[in-house]
Order: sequence, then C-alpha cells, then structure tokens
Amino acid sequence: MNTAASARQTGFQALIRTLSWAGTALAACVVTSAPALAAASPPVQTQTYVVSWFGQATATNDDDCSQGVHPEVEQLFLRYAKALGANQSQINAWHRGFLEGEDNRDLMQLMGMRGRINGEPVNPYTHPAAVVDLKLPGLDGPLAYGFDMDGRGADQPEGFTDPQTGEKGVDHQLYRALGCVRAFRGSLEGRPTYWAWSWGQLKESQPAWVVTLSGADLSADGPVKVRLERAIEYLRSNSDGSPRRDAGYRVDPDPRSRNEFDGVIRDGVVHVASSDTLRLLQSPLVVPELELDKFHLRLQRHDDGRVTAFMGGYQPWHDIYWSFASVGIGGEQQVTGDIIALYYLMKRYADADPDPQTGQNRRISATYYIEAVPAFVQQPQEAAQMVGR
Amino acid sequence: MSKQQGRTRRWQWLAGLAALGVVGVAVMALRPQQVPFEPGEAVTRRLSAEQYENIVRDLFGEDIELGGRFEPEMRVDGLFAIGASHVSISPAGMEQYDAMGRTVAAQVVDEAHRDALLPCQPQDAGTFDEACARTFLQDAGLLLYRRPMAQSQLDSYVTAAREAHELLGDFYQSVGLSLAAMLASPSFLFFEEVTEPDPRNPDQHRLDGYSKASQLSFFLWNSAPDKALLEAAGSGELHTRAGLRRQVDRMLDSPRLEAGLRAFFADNYLFSDFETLAKDGQLFPKFSAQVAADAREQTLRTIMDVVLHRDADFREVFTTRRTFLTPELASVYRVPLFSEVPNGAPEGWHAFEFPEDDPRGGILTQVAFTALHSPAGRSSPTLRGKALREVVLCQKVPAPPGDIDFTQFEDLANAEGSTARERLTAHSSVPSCAGCHKIMDPIGLAMEHFDGIGELRMTDNGAPIDPSGDLDGTSYNDADGLTQAVAQHPAATSCVVERLSARALGRLVARGERPWIKHLNDSFGDSGYRLRELLREISLSEALYTVAPTRPEAEAVAALSALPATLIPEDAP
Repeated sequence: MNTAASARQTGFQALIRTLSWAGTALAACVVTSAPALAAASPPVQTQTYVVSWFGQATATNDDDCSQGVHPEVEQLFLRYAKALGANQSQINAWHRGFLEGEDNRDLMQLMGMRGRINGEPVNPYTHPAAVVDLKLPGLDGPLAYGFDMDGRGADQPEGFTDPQTGEKGVDHQLYRALGCVRAFRGSLEGRPTYWAWSWGQLKESQPAWVVTLSGADLSADGPVKVRLERAIEYLRSNSDGSPRRDAGYRVDPDPRSRNEFDGVIRDGVVHVASSDTLRLLQSPLVVPELELDKFHLRLQRHDDGRVTAFMGGYQPWHDIYWSFASVGIGGEQQVTGDIIALYYLMKRYADADPDPQTGQNRRISATYYIEAVPAFVQQPQEAAQMVGR
Repeated sequence: MSKQQGRTRRWQWLAGLAALGVVGVAVMALRPQQVPFEPGEAVTRRLSAEQYENIVRDLFGEDIELGGRFEPEMRVDGLFAIGASHVSISPAGMEQYDAMGRTVAAQVVDEAHRDALLPCQPQDAGTFDEACARTFLQDAGLLLYRRPMAQSQLDSYVTAAREAHELLGDFYQSVGLSLAAMLASPSFLFFEEVTEPDPRNPDQHRLDGYSKASQLSFFLWNSAPDKALLEAAGSGELHTRAGLRRQVDRMLDSPRLEAGLRAFFADNYLFSDFETLAKDGQLFPKFSAQVAADAREQTLRTIMDVVLHRDADFREVFTTRRTFLTPELASVYRVPLFSEVPNGAPEGWHAFEFPEDDPRGGILTQVAFTALHSPAGRSSPTLRGKALREVVLCQKVPAPPGDIDFTQFEDLANAEGSTARERLTAHSSVPSCAGCHKIMDPIGLAMEHFDGIGELRMTDNGAPIDPSGDLDGTSYNDADGLTQAVAQHPAATSCVVERLSARALGRLVARGERPWIKHLNDSFGDSGYRLRELLREISLSEALYTVAPTRPEAEAVAALSALPATLIPEDAP
C-alpha cells in the first residue's frame, strides 16, 4: 500500500500545520500511515527519506596522525621497489622521473606485480598478503564519530571520543586504519576524496536507499521503528546534480535489502542500538553488500527537512578491501593510495569476529555518515519479508 | 362527404398541421439561431509552425522529418492565430520553407515511403510515367492547397517534373522536386479566404466552399481539410445547412479535434513563453526543462480532460482537482507519485486528484501558470494578476509607466520579514502605479502560497502569507477562493467565446459582429458551458463564412492615388 499517498489524502491539514513547525520539505513527507487505519490500531506517523550521501564518518584534524600522514603513493612505490631489491641508483632515477613528470613505466610494471609467491611475481591486489607490509601507521588522535558498540565505554584504551556527543569508548577502527591515508582524510563538510569518488559511483550505479521512520508521534520522544531499504529507482537529482526532494521511490521487495530496527527518539534524535545486522545491497563498484553487525544509528532531523545520520556496526573488512582492490593500479595512483597498505592497516585494526582457527579478526568497527532528503516511499504490495537477524 | 368523413378529414388536417408544427419546432431547435450581424473582412493567414507540421503529418505520416526552422510567429491581441493574418515571409524564412519542402519531399519519394505514399508506381523509375506523376501531383495539390489545382497549374508541375526527369533520370526524384515546389508555394503556406457573392443574399459575400472547408478545418483541427471535407466543399454540401452540420459533427467527433483545442489553449495561455522560461537554479533547483515541458502538458491534459474527454462545464478548468502528473512534476507539487516502469524507461503520465483541502485546484494553481508568470528568482503577484486579467478574463491592463521605480518592492535587504503584500502596498502607494496595481495585485497575492515555480510555501521572506483578496467584488480567503471567483466571473466564459471566435476568424471580432458574439455567449451558457457545443455553434455560424464585400475598384484606385507615385506598382489599376 502506498502509505504516503493515501495518508496525504486525509492528512493535508496536518501537513499544513507541520509546515509551519518543521519547514516545508520535511513536512511534505510527514503523513499518517495507511496501515494504521486498521480500526483497533493506534495512528502511526511515518517520515520517509532517500539517502543523498554515503561515506565514512571522518573528523580529520591536524593532530590525529602523530607520525604524519602517509607519503604519496609514488614514494611508497619506491619503498616497495627497494624491498623487492631495486638498487639505490635505480630508485634515485625513478624518483627523478616522478619529479620530472615521467611515467616510470618499468616501475609501474614492477608495482603491478609486486606480490611474491615462492619468489614469483604475482598480482598484489589479488594476493595482498604476498606483498611486503610497509607497516604504515594508523590514526592515533582521540576523536572519531561512532558508537560504543562493544559496551566497554571509557575503559577501552583504543576507544575514541565522539566529537559530537562526547561519548567515550567509541569503536571506529576503520577510521583508525584509514585515517592517515590522504584519500580518506576529511570531515563531514570537507568530504574525503575517496568517499566523494565512491558516492559519485554509487548514486549513478545503484538503486537508491530509503529510510522510513514510523511511530505513534514522531515529534515526541518515544519508541520508533527505523527501516532502511533499497528502492527500485535510482536517486533522482535536480538539473544541478543536487538530490531531488519529494520524489517517489518504490521499495524493492527483495528481502536482501529489507531492514527494520527498533529505536527510540530522545531529545528529537533517533537512536538505534541493535544486536542485529544491517544488510543493504550496494553497487559492486564499491561493496556489493553493506553489512553492519550490531547496527547502531543516530539520526538527526533538521528544520530544512534533511536528515543526517551516523550508522555504525562491525563490517567484514575483506569486503572493504576488495572494493579498494578493484580499482587496480590506476585507481591506486588516482584515488585510494597504496591499496596494500590499506589491507594491512585494516587487518591490524580489525576488532571483532575472530577467526576460530587463526584468531585474526574478520570484522572491523566502522561508522558511516549519511544524508537524506524527504521522499515519498511506497512499500511493496507483498508483505515485508524481513530477514531475521 | 358525410359528416363523419368531414370530421375525420378535419382531424387528419389538424393532425398534419400539428405534425408539421412539431417538425418545425424540432428543426428550429436543431438549427442554430442566426443573428443579424455586419460581417468583417476576409483575411489571409500564414500557416503556423504547428499547422505546417500537422499537415505534413496528416498527409505523409508521423515519421517525416521537417528539418527546418520556421519564421517567428507574432502575437496580436493575445493570439498567434490573429497575428497569422499580420505576417508575411522574409527572404530568409522563404529559404527555410524551401529547404523544408525539399526535405519533406525527398522523404515522401524515398524507398522507405514511396510505396505507401504514392498512389501509383512507374513501370521503371528510369522512364517518366506522366500519368502517374499527374495523379500523384494532382492528389497532393488538392490536399496541400486545400482546393483543386487549376489545370494550368497542374500542367506546370507535371512539366517541371518531366524536365527534371530528363536531367536526373529518376521518376521519384523528379516528382519529388515538384512536390517540394508545392510545399514552398504561397498557395500552401498561406490560407487565403476566397470569396464569392452569396446567392442567398446578393449584398453579401461568402467564403467559397473550399475556403469554408479550410476555415473549419484550421479552426477545429488546426490542420488542413481531409478528403471528405474537400469533397463536401466541391459538391456544394458545405453551403447547405444540413451538409455543414454533417461535416461539423464529423469533425467534432474526430480525434483530430484534440489537436485543434490544444493549439487554441496553448496559444491563448501564452505557452510559447515556455521556450524562454528560465529559473534561478540556486533558488529553484527542482525546475528544469523537463519540468517546464511537463507543466505545459499537465495544463493541456487538465483542460482536455474537462472540455473534451468529460465534456464538462468549461469553468471546471479553473477549479478541478483532477489532473495528470509525471514523477518529475509530482516532486514539485510534493505529492506522492510512483513510477510504474523499470529504471531508465520513459516515465508516463498518471491521473491524480488533489484532495479537497489542498490549496491546488484548477489550472491557475498549476506550475504552467505560477511559474510562467513569475520572474526567474521569485514569485510575482503583479505578473500573475496581470496574466489572469489579460489571458483568462480578456481584460486590458495598461503598460507600466516608463520611469517606474521598483526599489521599494525589490529591496529585500531593507525589508526583512516583509511579505510581497507589504512591499507591494508600499510600491503601489505611488499614484502613477496605484491604478493598475489595484486590479492586478489582489489576484496575484492570492497565489502567494506558490513560489516562483509553484511549490507550496507558507511564508514569504520569513513572514506568514496572507492570501486573501477580492476579485471585482467577490472576496476570497485564498487561492482556492480565487479560482472559485474566477470560475463564476462572467468574463471567464465570455473571454473564451471571444478568443475562440477570433481564432476561427483569424482576426479580431469586428464591431458589427458583436451581436453574434452575444448570441454565442448566451448559447454557451444555455449549454452549461460545454465547449464542444460552443465549437459547434461557432462552426455552424454564418458569421464565420460571411465576409464584407471587397472595396469597390474606384475606392481602391482613390486609395492608391493618395500614395506617392514611387510606391504604386506598375500593374495597379
């Protein structure tokens, strides 16, 4: 049933009232939900949005990498070359070549096969463990957006402090792993190069994600249901590329992207602290499926109708690695920086789901920052088949 | 004769009389009431771009590309349809018509189309089949010139084709060149009203049968007459009341009627302005070329739904909540509309009805009105009020004075928290502005809940909007009240009568034709404001086909003699 549509038929006066309360765009999608029209059920309000930005939540500052940010990838290539046995004069020649704008094709060929298995060159991206670990440092500043997902609070020595909430013991080891890599440094406003590139790929190559909040009174504190689902339509944009507000999206009935969590509104902010897993199909260009175990969410509704949110959980770090590795040596130079370093950093800082045999953690705590604009969302005719998690 | 027989005969006689009476009343009821009028002059109109396209499409099919650019049209007294009788063709325009004619003709005779479009095929393209060429050119000429070609005219096109064949050696290219010449001929590009003395009224002239057919066809279909109408013209059927009615009824039942109505409303509501409509992308990011195109189409679909598909009271176009939306447009209205097609497939139109308590109702609250009559960066109560007066109510609003000072209205920096109403009040306190603003602003202010592109808003410049006002004595509280007031305004219906009549005539209604217009207004009201009935009434009116006699030759000579000698053509009488 088209919840927004049918509610609109009956709720226009409420809409006008809300317009003056919360700004026009937000209110456009504040409607009374049709399923709530069943005689005995209390009325349910819904607010629906489409995600218009997705990227890692970063809070870069000048003091968060005590050993400095990582060198340019070209400099790292020279370190790999040295580890692979190149002599100093050759390294000096390549260095001069970089300074003079030459392509250093022989070095690039070497880097394109810088893995070694039994002494034989192998593709480093498909065999990252076969490449020497340069042991580049992770971020050691105290601040990171996120959640205390393991509940260890301030006692957790590796925990961050959230710059927005002041919460201690924040688990965001993905930020620690990537935070000193140039392409991953940035803030909520000054977006990191990699995530800006990544979103550019995502929004053009995957159906949009939609967010649905529902509860008895979404303007008051209390329980709330939060749905995160994938739509059939791609994100609709204005002619200047900005996300289009108030557009209609149909939820894809595919159960692989149907997620509903119990949450609570406190001081107007929506919180979810779940022990379940969020699963959303994403673009194979980035991560084929975004999977966040122990899903956490903190969602803020703004007067102009937008919502911004942090969503975190424990994510399989191999999935993240393969999204980096897929760009190859060209992307390594232009977008990600040294991909092998990213592999070792995530492996080092992974903090959950140890492999029973090796003890190596298979998941890493991560927090993403999303923005969304008001949208109309149509649930499928079929009864929701949420995957139990 | 017995008494009984006499009584029977008397009853039979009375019954016959009664039957005659019934038939007479029925005939009178069916027959449009003809009112005395003094006819206006005959005019010659240049085909509009849309008429040219429609004719080519009707004759040769949808897939024929025109490949050219049309002369700009000129709006006179609110209508391009009137301007068409005020324009000529420039040399550059003639080149374009020539190029288009060649492009169209080349496609008609190419391998993809010739079998379907030519009535005959030569045995061999290398030989000139004169009979086939004559048949084709004669048929095409009838439809393009909207009357049979004179024998000499046809001969000249056939001769031209034959001579071309001697050079080109290809039958199809040869007849194609003659067809191209026809498409660039004034007989095609202009609709000239040919008149003849009216045998029923020796003091008056009337359109000849073929001009009558064109008058009807361009009015109702915005295209040239079809074969059936031309046959009715040739047989004299159109000069009989029953024959004219038959053809009018047929035309009103034709799907082509929608093209005629769309052309009228697009012309009347100034939709040509969409070609240059632009909005500030920073302020109105939702606006795009697609939104503009969809908005235009939305209003036309809304009107067609009322006046054509539902044959409802015309005044409903100002109040109806039924409309049609695309997903792109729905987001501007902030209403839920969901695509029904896979990603990437063209998104179609969806019927939509605004709820009763929604401020949207009727075409005046649609984007095609609110956006079209607003500047690039804001709404404009004045422009919207002016448009409503001029376009919907056919009232003249004088042009603003040349030294107008807008600073009091436009200086938002020094007027924080002030609404358009407050700023306009200050602006219109200037005596030279007050008179006109008084008739425009109250109307436009009622639409202030719709911003520069028509999105709903509750505040202006941070202050709550007061949309109340008054339209010629009818007070209202908001846009919904305004649209109700417009629907009840007598000028809303008389305006469409006036404009449709002018479109049919191709000129402004003459003073002597006012009684006819009054009659049309009355009958429009009697029909419950059914536009189809109004079209029928106009189409059956003698006023549409009667023209003032041309000026006597002596009068023309006297007029010419008043001109400087250098301007008198050598072949003048």
